[in-house]
Amino acid sequence: MLRVPFAIGLIALLTASPVAAEIARIKQSSGAASIERGAGRLRAAPGLVLLPGDRLVTGKDGRMSLTFIDNTRFAIGPNSRVSVSEFQYDRTRQKGSFLTRVDRGSLAIVSGKIAKSDRDAMKVRTPNSLLGVRGTKFIVEVPK
Amino acid sequence: MIRARVAAACFLLCGCATSSLVLLPDDEGHQGSVAVLEAGGRPAEAVIADGNSRTRLGDATPAPRPLGPNGLKKQEAALLSGLPPPPRSFILYFEQGTTTLTQQSSAVLPALRAEIARRSGPAIEVLGHTDTVGGADDNDRLSVQRAEEVLGWLASQGFDRSMMSAAGRGERELMQPTMDNVDNPANRRVEVIVR
Repeated sequence: MLRVPFAIGLIALLTASPVAAEIARIKQSSGAASIERGAGRLRAAPGLVLLPGDRLVTGKDGRMSLTFIDNTRFAIGPNSRVSVSEFQYDRTRQKGSFLTRVDRGSLAIVSGKIAKSDRDAMKVRTPNSLLGVRGTKFIVEVPK
Repeated sequence: MIRARVAAACFLLCGCATSSLVLLPDDEGHQGSVAVLEAGGRPAEAVIADGNSRTRLGDATPAPRPLGPNGLKKQEAALLSGLPPPPRSFILYFEQGTTTLTQQSSAVLPALRAEIARRSGPAIEVLGHTDTVGGADDNDRLSVQRAEEVLGWLASQGFDRSMMSAAGRGERELMQPTMDNVDNPANRRVEVIVR
């Protein structure tokens, strides 16, 4: 008898945890645009909640845009592969760390509160460089 | 010979096709910068700070060039126009010691509803605050109740709770710093951030 409420409690905890780890939401997408999470793949539909480690992938007609919980904004162009390798943000202290990897394609960024919180708290890695973002708007392009 | 030429052409093409950075002023016109911390696998210490410039990545000493009269490439302009709108913040004020919105703030609610409705895939963050009248614990509770009041109103307007998050900050983050036990209308507020 005692086991049932315990199991329900556990399920509630498990389903609650991804919400707690929300880092961003998809705002728009078009064409072939998906999120790779672990071994799975999700369609990048508006409102989809992103988690740390997600990989954002577009095909030759694909685009997507997203806004992070620290107000950072991304637009991803066609033929792209972008990973949010690390994202930690303390909403109360408005500090964190953020590492994005651009393997190929194009990414426009308007930086948010993490980039403002500490020098080089926000970084972007391309195949041949590591960038520290100091409060700005920019585009990174990595040809295939 | 032919093979050598093909190899040279290939090298040139790959050279052109290296990663690049386009640095722009932000929407408010401020110019930020991007530091190069590593280039070609080696630590680097350079800063790109020229607005409206294009830089080839991979060199330890980057050489930004102005975008010039042609400006952005077509695909770059398309990428920028696809950025989501900036987040927008609303402040709602409350009557002393209550979860009742002031009349002026009630009049702001339609604009808040419209802002959420016009966004694709919106997320709403609600933060409750109090002034310094009363104990800190009571104010923690009151700030949460104020946030919940706003959440309830948003839900009554048909917005799904899965897009909302909320927290109460009590009297910790005063809009106008005051001594303890000061009645201050500017501090009795809920901030709603629409992303």
